[in-house]
Amino acid sequence: MFIPRPKQEQILAYRGGKMGVSAVPGSGKTQILSMLAAQIIADGLLEDEQEVLVVTLVNAAVDNFSVRVGNLVKEKGLLPNLGYRVRTLHGLAHDIVRERPDLLGLSENFQIIDEREVDKIRREAASAWLKAHPYALDDYLDSTLEQSKLDWVRRDHLPARVSDVALAFIRLAKDKQLSSEEIRARLEQLPVPLPLAQMGCEIYQSYQQALVYRGALDFDDLIRLAIQAIRLDESYLERLRYRWPYILEDEAQDSSQLQEQILEKLAEPNGNWVRVGDPNQAIFETFTTASPESLRQFLDSPEVDDLDMPNSGRSTSSIIDLANYLIEWTQEEHPREEVRQALVPPPIEVTPPGDPQPNPPDDPQAIHLVEQKMTPQGEMEYVVESIADWLPSHPDNTVAVLVPRNQRGFDLAKALGARGLEYSDSLLRSTAETRGAAGALANILNYLAEPGSSRMLSIAYNVWRREAWEVEENKALLEVVKRMINKCRQVEDYLWPRAGNDWFASLNIQEDQDWVSGELQEFRQVVRRWQGATTLPIDQLVLSLAQDLFHEPPDLAIAHKLALLLRQAGETNSDWHLPDFTEELAVIAKNERRFLGFSDDDTGFDPEAHKGQVVISTMHKAKGLEWDRVYLMSVNTYNFPSGRLQDRYIAEAWFLRDHLNLEAETIKQLEVALSSGDYDWYEEGQASKKARLDYVAERLRLLYVGITRAKKELFITRNTGRDGKLQPAESFQALIGFWEDRLSDLGGGSA
Amino acid sequence: MELTPPQLDLIEASNDQKIFLEGPAGAGKTTAGVERMLYLMAQGARADTILVFLPQRNLAQPYYQALRNPGLVAGGTVDVLTLGGLAQKMVQLFWPLVSEQAGFAHPDQAPTFLNLETAQYFMARVVEPMIEGGAFDTVTIDRNRLYSQVVDNLNKAAVVGFPHTELEQRLRGAWIGEISQAHLYADAQQAALRFREFCLEQNLLDFSLRVEVFLKHIWSVPVCRDYLSKTYNHLIYDNVEEDTPVSHDLMAEWLPQLESATLIYDWDGGYRIFLGADPASGYRLKDHCQEEVTFNHSFVTTPEIQEFTAGLEISFNLAEDRLDSPFVSPSQPIVEDPASKPAVGDVRSVLEFETHRFHPQMLDWVVERASYLVEDEGIPPEEIVILAPYMSDSLRYSLSERFDRSGIATQSHRPSRALKDEPAAQCLLTLAAVAHPEWGITPVSYELAYALVQAVDGLDLVRGQLLAEIVYRSKDGRPTLTSFDRINPDMQERITYQLGERYENLRLWLDSYSLNPVDELDHFLSRLFGEVLSQPGYGFHHSRDAGQVTANLIDSARRFRWILAESLTDGSGKDYVQLVQQGVVAAQYIRRWNEPSEGAVFLAPAYTFLMGNRPVEVQFWLDVGGQGWAERLYQPLTQPYVLSRHWPPGTPWTDSEEFASSQEALYRLSTGLIRRCRYKIYLGLSDLGEGGYEMKGPFLRAIQRVLQNYPADAPGTQVETH
Repeated sequence: MFIPRPKQEQILAYRGGKMGVSAVPGSGKTQILSMLAAQIIADGLLEDEQEVLVVTLVNAAVDNFSVRVGNLVKEKGLLPNLGYRVRTLHGLAHDIVRERPDLLGLSENFQIIDEREVDKIRREAASAWLKAHPYALDDYLDSTLEQSKLDWVRRDHLPARVSDVALAFIRLAKDKQLSSEEIRARLEQLPVPLPLAQMGCEIYQSYQQALVYRGALDFDDLIRLAIQAIRLDESYLERLRYRWPYILEDEAQDSSQLQEQILEKLAEPNGNWVRVGDPNQAIFETFTTASPESLRQFLDSPEVDDLDMPNSGRSTSSIIDLANYLIEWTQEEHPREEVRQALVPPPIEVTPPGDPQPNPPDDPQAIHLVEQKMTPQGEMEYVVESIADWLPSHPDNTVAVLVPRNQRGFDLAKALGARGLEYSDSLLRSTAETRGAAGALANILNYLAEPGSSRMLSIAYNVWRREAWEVEENKALLEVVKRMINKCRQVEDYLWPRAGNDWFASLNIQEDQDWVSGELQEFRQVVRRWQGATTLPIDQLVLSLAQDLFHEPPDLAIAHKLALLLRQAGETNSDWHLPDFTEELAVIAKNERRFLGFSDDDTGFDPEAHKGQVVISTMHKAKGLEWDRVYLMSVNTYNFPSGRLQDRYIAEAWFLRDHLNLEAETIKQLEVALSSGDYDWYEEGQASKKARLDYVAERLRLLYVGITRAKKELFITRNTGRDGKLQPAESFQALIGFWEDRLSDLGGGSA
Repeated sequence: MELTPPQLDLIEASNDQKIFLEGPAGAGKTTAGVERMLYLMAQGARADTILVFLPQRNLAQPYYQALRNPGLVAGGTVDVLTLGGLAQKMVQLFWPLVSEQAGFAHPDQAPTFLNLETAQYFMARVVEPMIEGGAFDTVTIDRNRLYSQVVDNLNKAAVVGFPHTELEQRLRGAWIGEISQAHLYADAQQAALRFREFCLEQNLLDFSLRVEVFLKHIWSVPVCRDYLSKTYNHLIYDNVEEDTPVSHDLMAEWLPQLESATLIYDWDGGYRIFLGADPASGYRLKDHCQEEVTFNHSFVTTPEIQEFTAGLEISFNLAEDRLDSPFVSPSQPIVEDPASKPAVGDVRSVLEFETHRFHPQMLDWVVERASYLVEDEGIPPEEIVILAPYMSDSLRYSLSERFDRSGIATQSHRPSRALKDEPAAQCLLTLAAVAHPEWGITPVSYELAYALVQAVDGLDLVRGQLLAEIVYRSKDGRPTLTSFDRINPDMQERITYQLGERYENLRLWLDSYSLNPVDELDHFLSRLFGEVLSQPGYGFHHSRDAGQVTANLIDSARRFRWILAESLTDGSGKDYVQLVQQGVVAAQYIRRWNEPSEGAVFLAPAYTFLMGNRPVEVQFWLDVGGQGWAERLYQPLTQPYVLSRHWPPGTPWTDSEEFASSQEALYRLSTGLIRRCRYKIYLGLSDLGEGGYEMKGPFLRAIQRVLQNYPADAPGTQVETH
């Protein structure tokens, strides 16, 4: 039973008005917001039709909230599911648009195009632009490049870079609710040309045309249209205001301007709006209109009740001290004055004695700041060995390795697997289950597209028996069957044998291999059924396959959803055949941003469910989660630069001149084009420099987030990079210095 | 069935009476209407002097059924007509008299009447050049829906009775949404104008033009009007509330000239508002009848179910406000004897529900409960309907497939697949393309393989694909098949000589046909079916379904050809094949699926079931939490409420109106369903809908409010949360 501490009680006493809460990591804000929502419902503050609206940042948090609020509501003896709604901003925007699509000229079955498709469209638009203007960007390329290299860059590097630039450009344009025509009009009025903005605008235009052609929206449109809907129809806004008399917003530090606008509009005029956040954990800012600054402004405004949740019972006091020192060092000693506000007080406070959610007992020895020089491979081996030593004797503990980027995580997964350690990489992947179900279906469809291929047939067998593969003792036999099928030269002699030419009969399977024989016969029946279903419309084919492939309700639900999606896709593309559908499935399987409730990710990742396993995650994805032991990897000057001259930046491509950050320069040109101020002009290179500092600041917060994921033990390691030249991040060095002093004060030991 | 005294009074009223009969669904009004028709005939009225007038053809069932009775008095046949049917009949009859005046370019040539499919086909021809010129550039709907919305706009103008030139102005006047949208209305107006011009030019009459010509140019001419007055002396007009304002106008003018009339009006009806129905306008006709009769005793529902209706009414909070809404069909409260009012708590005894997390779990539950009802409670399957706001193809297939496994037959509101989704139809069209290389349609290898698998009995997919890869080529856009005899002997052996021979015969047939092709696709299809595919050794030989699909396809192709031939436009078998592929021609023959078939559970969208006007024992409502129950079909190019007579031009349509009308529609829908249920309603609930979205829609909340008023421990209720 959760008992709130006094600071939390203060928040639960809320019954109206604007309130801002700054909450340190581990202060229990999810729990408190859930309790507050449940309390509002239980206190009868809502009419029948009304709901508490909880808005949070990521899908993972949505279900977490829903379950918590639902349980708390049930505990109070009421029907769950009613009286509240938990949404991400995209989910909320979808609700708003979905309820009145007519207002925006949409039909009720409007489609939202998934991220992968969006990427494809944008890449194509970027490539087309480059093809039409093959030398337009030459001026930005490093002039020392040889001709052969230059061609290579133009061919293999620029398209991706330009596509990234377009992504930033389009997102910002949509965030500012501007069409390409409007931007073009502004650009035409300018006395000096802004070539990058011009490029962005042209790509934006063809991108948008491609969307319209498909009759679809992207995720950014969704938000833009939602705000448009409530602006256009006052009475709709009134109804939504009535429906959501209370708005509770989590992770408010990451809100974009549009999110704030939507919530502000919904909260007016009575303004029952609670914003909870931690400016120190703002890690999603790059090229968005989000800024931790706006939450700070909200907290400071006079009509807002400004509360805080300074106590955290999550980590040991040593870990808390380390995190607090990072704030202190940033504020006072960071080499670049400009980023000293990246992390701000108040520091995290340990819980007072007698607190209902106390900190774990302290152990300064459980902090390992490993300064040792290691290659990337060496660092990985170090971490794997460290885990291998520890995990078997701590089966009831949770552990995570947090990496700066996905690829590093996948590499680590391989290394852990090779060492025989169990791991979960689902946080690295988009959605494990969608991938699973969609992947299984895609494999079968692949086979059906090539029904004569024994190799595809053996893969189909694999997929059909994928649950049996999980059991160690089955593997040998399954392997036998799989190999047999793979070797079958003429598949028809197995599946549809004619007299005297039965492959199966010719195998002479020995009597002790009854199982193999039964297996081959059963699979033959199944495949015959699948083949029979091949001429069905795609949705019916998928549903038929699903009956054989899946047993779990979520899988079946995904299959149904996939059937619907493929059907829709087939309707817009009447010339599609199996290979096209298989490809589309792959697209869906990899779709990264969704707001559907099917995946493991969406039902919330629970570290406690992975005891005895190593969870691999990026630092970004780890936000909101906690583990007993945490490894932070690759904390070097490349991943966590400090703004020194010698630092290198991921966003500055090697083939561009003068360390230009093409995205930043383009965005700046756009901003200048839109600005009405006389003193806002474009000076090349300034934006790239500014982007460095923004990045430095955001990475400091990312490190802070990483550290505060640990409950009891923390490891920080670094590597020297591919060329062996990278140093430990300056912030990391500062932490090492601090910790050495601390330990020597405590008398002995070393970091 | 025994008739009640009020029914008998009505039926046996003297045959110069004009009666307005009203009441809730299930009160025995249609029964009385049918009996009234028979009574008139028994009293000596000639059958061909009686007109049964209905808003929609499928409401004619009870009348047809009675007329099929062999014991009927002779004397011609009773005409059972809708406005469209009457208009067509009259246009045909008076064409020479009115064609020139109505503006047709070839008044001396016969008119061609378009059905919905052919109207869409011609609309496509008119609109496509506009799209290429940049019109409709910001609309996010597929082409078929675009065409049908323009057709719909014309129809609305015709049945509401305003000039089709005012469409843009009306739609724009109510529009408060995104400004860029407004020019779409201009495009839609342009398309409507051009289509109308095209029709006048080509002597084509779509529904809207038929109605306009009839009302403007025929009904207004005394000689034509006299003809009608002389032909029909007696009118039975059922479901007045579902008909359109111009029908009501017509009847208001016509009534004084009729000898007798029985007008039947359902309270809380108006399910066809989207098609132009106008219950309020229909209610005006009451003033034109001397006799007013109300039936308000339900033959269908139990008191518990009536209590549920009453509860919903309170829940929707409509009791007081609803009379203000212009879109409500006027009604009076059902007068109830206080003594018969059921005890509180009974509502739960007619409701059964269970909550599930995922949609397929809910479907499993539905099928499991329905099987239980059939097997253990002995309820005939045809007395069970499964209703959802929309029935997606996937949902329909999932359900029917589950029922199949439980050994229970199902019947759907339409054939399980559109023509283009029927493997047999695909096979025929692919072979048609091969037989007509001059069309330049080249099927891909997959399509040919599937066609062969369908066509050749015993050919499996592996060999079919192998064969297709070897024998099928397209040269210069012309598909060709090579002879089985010319392929590698190893391959011949793999495919087997027997199958090879069958393939070879088919190929030879196609080959010889293509040397001497006929003009008509339907003739080709009949021959292909008759001479090859239905023969032993070929795939359609054993399949009744394939035969049925072939018949449908031939029928559809033939109609298409006729209409094109009648009109002065060109069009070929190739056009038809392409239209089927694009889904423009769906050819979903509803007539076979219209009547409830014995022994089959009925799966349908809720509105379709309502329009069938058939009470059943048990209803399952799926996706009760879904938005679909309350929302209308959003059509970017049209708007049923704004184009109705009740909407003052220039008044903006805001969310308040949208919300009120959706609440009203939901109430009407739910009470309509409830009044057609005798025994029990099952609610299928899942947290996540078909598409994975959370389901907390207004219908769920409304039912929740009803339930809150009744104690939960009543018997017969299960609440379970997974």
